[in-house]
Amino acid sequence: MTTDSLTSNVVLPTKRDEAWRYAPHRTLAELSFGPPNGSIASVPAGLLDDIPVLDGLCVVVVNGIVDVGRSRLHSLVRGVTVSSRAAALATDRAASTPGDETPSPTDAYVVLNAAYGVDGALIEIEPGVVLDEPIHVVDISIPDHLGGASCARTHIHLGAGSSATVVETRISAGSGFGGSNVCTLVSLDDGAELEHVVLQDLPSSQVHLGRVEVDQATRSTFRARSFNTGGAYGRLEYHVVLRGPEASADLAGLYLGSGEQVLDQQVTVVHAAENCVSRQAFRGVLDDESTGVFNGGIDVRPGADGTDASQSNDNLLLSVRAEANTQPRLEILADEVSCTHGATVGRLDDDALYYLRSRGVRAEGARRLLIDGFANQIVEQVGAGPVRAWISHRLGYRDDG
Amino acid sequence: MLHVENLTVSIGDKRILRGLDLDVRPGEVHAIMGPNGSGKSTFAHALAGREGYDVGGTATLDGADLLEMEPEERAAAGVFMGFQYPVEIPGVNNMYFLRTALNSVRQARGEDEVSAREFLEVAKRAMQLVDMNPDFLQRSVNAGFSGGEKKRNEILQMAVMEPRLAVLDETDSGLDIDALKVVASGVHALRGPERSMVVITHYQRLLEYITPDFVHVLVDGRIVESGDSSLALHLDDHGYAQFLAVAPGDEQRSLAATRS
Ligand SMILES: Nc1ncnc2c1ncn2[C@@H]1O[C@H](COP(=O)(O)OP(=O)(O)OP(=O)(O)O)[C@@H](O)[C@H]1O
Ligand SMILES: [Mg+2]
Repeated sequence: MTTDSLTSNVVLPTKRDEAWRYAPHRTLAELSFGPPNGSIASVPAGLLDDIPVLDGLCVVVVNGIVDVGRSRLHSLVRGVTVSSRAAALATDRAASTPGDETPSPTDAYVVLNAAYGVDGALIEIEPGVVLDEPIHVVDISIPDHLGGASCARTHIHLGAGSSATVVETRISAGSGFGGSNVCTLVSLDDGAELEHVVLQDLPSSQVHLGRVEVDQATRSTFRARSFNTGGAYGRLEYHVVLRGPEASADLAGLYLGSGEQVLDQQVTVVHAAENCVSRQAFRGVLDDESTGVFNGGIDVRPGADGTDASQSNDNLLLSVRAEANTQPRLEILADEVSCTHGATVGRLDDDALYYLRSRGVRAEGARRLLIDGFANQIVEQVGAGPVRAWISHRLGYRDDG
Repeated sequence: MLHVENLTVSIGDKRILRGLDLDVRPGEVHAIMGPNGSGKSTFAHALAGREGYDVGGTATLDGADLLEMEPEERAAAGVFMGFQYPVEIPGVNNMYFLRTALNSVRQARGEDEVSAREFLEVAKRAMQLVDMNPDFLQRSVNAGFSGGEKKRNEILQMAVMEPRLAVLDETDSGLDIDALKVVASGVHALRGPERSMVVITHYQRLLEYITPDFVHVLVDGRIVESGDSSLALHLDDHGYAQFLAVAPGDEQRSLAATRS
């Protein structure tokens, strides 16, 4: 990829930006962005074999371009469209895709993504359609050894009363420096229901910048399940706007850090209508010298009376040098609001370890059981069974079903 | 089988067990009674291998030195302790935990692991023994269990682990009348010529169901009296006062006694 004038002209965030406080700015500055270079042939053999739930509908995106050959785009279910955004744009189908304009706070990486993310998955579910099998979007960035980061944009639109599960996996190959910058724009019409799972598992030499923007109409439901575990810096950002009354957003996430990883969750839920419910429940397991960040905002706009919002962030530190940072941001400008938040940072419980060992479980196994137990409480919140099983497998946990 | 001689335990500067002697032969059930804080739980934990204790003296099981072993090695050697306060472990599935525990000790003993299906049979039998709803197997270990449910879960674990020596620390506390019967009959069913039990309790009631071969009174870290099951009845009527006054070698205690 070539660095063009846009890359050199955008103003990168700094440590002084609250939302970027723990990011490795020097590393980020070395990333370069540009239009997709179009080479999609270089996917290493075996990379995709590891993703069993690719059986169903899937969109494979390589370096920002949909690889039609590796994707499975044809749905047997009527009213389900899964395609390449670029291809759809070419035929003008996506011209009306909502959410293309970016209404929420923006930064340099959003600008770069908007400029260079010309392709990605387009998922359209027509009103009333209930899709049981998950749709899988796999974003693969293959490093070019010049620090190039690929950009892709996923658009998901669920019509009124429809429901679907979308899984987005972000991976890469090799040990070179690079990464990916993926924006997902979700728009849910009245009563629509989406379960959206993100698994970020890039190699630890790379950087992932992920952003999910959600716009929710009346009585729609958005369930986010995020698994942030790869990258030197892995960032998952959610910006959810509850625009219609009685909408509900339920966000749960797990971040698993080791080495010197920095895993950053930036979550904002905007209550812009009456009687909406939101929940944020994020957990971190941090080993070695890794850093976890949870910056969670609840923004209750004037008139959003009857808001019920909660937030929790629990961290398990496995090493004395690991670090967890929690930053709640609550802004409440409405009445009859219930807003709770809490955060914990703890270590493995000695009494629990002893209890397990007294039952014959070896020390290391006992540690593993406790860590898995802590993390599993997020994994088990994935509603779609096969996806849950696969996430468990991928993270090295068991699935109790 | 279990041989304990001059066992001492200190935690920091605090001396808790001050030379405890106890011999338990195969198939015997010994009850230990004693006032709050006298060291009963500490004794149980010393056998199970809790960390942070400064332990002296001897404790062997079938000749093997327990005090040298890690807690998991003691479990493999056949020690099972029913906790007075079972630990809640959110997120760890009870069934998975039980199977892991059983397979860990089997593996340590060089035995084959049990398959998921075989384990289900083992668990089912154990559940029947303690009259426990199978739903409990699908919950997290002790998490949100009531006090009595936790105690049942301890006996369930004992039934699955089939230990050589069971040390039950106040397994009867917090049980309602029916549950006490269930747990007691469960314990009774697990009695056998090759299995010994040390049952710590405050109540004569449990001992009505499980008739112990011996009853010991633990005061200030020592066994001050031993007898047959009639001793429990005697204690029920008279309390520990007589033992408190004569507890030997305890300066503080005798000082307090002189003062009063
Ligand atoms: N970790 C510890 N640090 C300091 N003192 C302790 C510790 N654990 C136990 N003790 C003390 O040791 C003494 C014996 O405690 P233990 O729990 O063995 O009593 P117990 O006989 O089981 O009492 P109960 O009948 O109330 O269960 C008590 O005075 C207790 O406070
Ligand atoms: Mg006790």
